[in-house]
Amino acid sequence: MHEVGIANSILEAVRVEAAAHAPARASKVGVRIGEMAGVDAGSLAFCFEVLVKGSDLEPLELAIEPATGGELEFAWLELEEP
Amino acid sequence: MTRVPMEGKVLNENDQVAAELRAQFARHGVFAVNLISSPGSGKTALLERTLESFPPDRRVAVLTGDIQTDADAARLVKYGFPVRQITTAGACHLDARMVKRALEGWDLAALDLLFIENVGNLVCPTSYDLGEAKKIVLLSVTEGEEKPLKYPGIFHKAELMVLTKTDLLPYVPFRPEIAIQNARSIRPDIEVLQLSCQTKIGFRPWMEWIEAQTMAQTSDNRLR
Repeated sequence: MHEVGIANSILEAVRVEAAAHAPARASKVGVRIGEMAGVDAGSLAFCFEVLVKGSDLEPLELAIEPATGGELEFAWLELEEP
Repeated sequence: MTRVPMEGKVLNENDQVAAELRAQFARHGVFAVNLISSPGSGKTALLERTLESFPPDRRVAVLTGDIQTDADAARLVKYGFPVRQITTAGACHLDARMVKRALEGWDLAALDLLFIENVGNLVCPTSYDLGEAKKIVLLSVTEGEEKPLKYPGIFHKAELMVLTKTDLLPYVPFRPEIAIQNARSIRPDIEVLQLSCQTKIGFRPWMEWIEAQTMAQTSDNRLR
């Protein structure tokens, strides 16, 4: 249920990061999620999709990289030149 | 297409507020604990029995989280210590900002011990640091021994597991040693206490644990 909040935090951070690379646009964000993080990857992917749709970040994609511990961290951001 | 490295935690904003809270608690020598369990495992009952065991001059306070009601605060306020309800209006966990807001107006220098009772949920509260010194997970004997394996995140992060409702052990097929083994397969050094809030058997080690931890936090602060 808290995956909506987490998806929202990802989008906010992507906005900030992408602005530093303007005029390139963010196309995909990589996030590392540990198996102990208490975050369900499927549920997060769903919430992410719902929040991105119709937003300024559409068609941003999410790539989830599994990890072992409790981490919930950004890994990378893919940018498209205009 | 170019790929650039991106750093930082996803819940960075929450973690920053939690870090502020942790620094505040340390500065004032407050031992803050975050109580997490499924709904109905006995967080509020444990707090009731704990508060009633304290002398009236004990410097303790409680923040209690609930999605919708202030029923828990109503139960806890009877013991004469400061209690504040945090109603999350639908959110399944407490976050650091809610705790910060709830603490406004409270003099932390007047406290040694702060209990934060999270919303009943074994998943979502795991991700949100509240600035606490320790997370405690409660598991009632009516729930099943395999819970640590089903919800590893919280058993990975909690320093102490409290098995509650042990007075019901004769009536349920729960084997504490299996539950403990399961919890330790997730976190080998997790401490374990077993108690009943009805009979109060096992209560003394719990109170001793709390007192020892509080004393350690307070003296840490004095050394600084």
